[in-house]
Amino acid sequence: MITLIYGGSSSGKSSYAEDYVCNSKYKNKYYLATMKSGDKETEERIKRHRSMRQGKDFVTVELPYDIVNAIEPDADSIILLECMSNLVANEMFRDGKINKASYIVDKILKDINELEAKAGSLVIVSNDVFEDGLQYDETTKEYLRALGEVNAKIAQMADKAVEVIVGIGVER
Amino acid sequence: MILIVGGSYQGKTEFARTEFPNAKYFNQFHLFVKKRISEGKNNSEILSEIRDVISDGQWVIISDEIGNGIVPMDEADRTWREVCGRIMIELAKDATEVYRVVCGIGQRIK
Repeated sequence: MITLIYGGSSSGKSSYAEDYVCNSKYKNKYYLATMKSGDKETEERIKRHRSMRQGKDFVTVELPYDIVNAIEPDADSIILLECMSNLVANEMFRDGKINKASYIVDKILKDINELEAKAGSLVIVSNDVFEDGLQYDETTKEYLRALGEVNAKIAQMADKAVEVIVGIGVER
Repeated sequence: MILIVGGSYQGKTEFARTEFPNAKYFNQFHLFVKKRISEGKNNSEILSEIRDVISDGQWVIISDEIGNGIVPMDEADRTWREVCGRIMIELAKDATEVYRVVCGIGQRIK
């Protein structure tokens, strides 16, 4: 089972996703963190998310890409993938290369399908980065294409898609 | 308090005037937050100021959603959208009704 939780930056989507997972019936809760730490700001963001998760009984796995290798889940597991926007960026810029959107989309969907087949439930947090109306360089556009397509494909596969707006979940 | 959010130029103000003609309006809330940040105010200071302002009477707060884009290059812009987002989540908890307006159409989400 796949659930997509989608929203803008600071929309409350992570907090919503964590509550969603904690209220599920699954015994084993995994938190699959895809953000690579680099500068102080990302460190702060990671710290904030860690403190949000405290006491919620998550097993945290940090993996920037190749998420299929992250966990060997069983049917009594729920995985919270946080988040797709980082995963797409990490799959795009890796091994000193810049991968094409079509490659990234295929790779990520394949990994998602394999992971979902093993786990009881997969909850994917993704980001709305598409509404600032600005024009970007070709590389950023390629990133937007990849993330947009991944989001749309996951929404198609998902049993449930929720958009989070000012902390409120709206089913789509 | 009633909270109305949505992208820019989506008809939020007109929606508010049609639905809540007798309320008091706090419009362009996102710009108010930006101004207060530039004055050195933090998240909770801004939130308590707004709560104070709207304590009397029926208020409608109208704000752009500014978090639905690529991470801005400028640090001040990143701070703005984060603070704005967090405050809006708190205001949505306080609100009796929350609407999201797209293309002039308001969807009640709370």
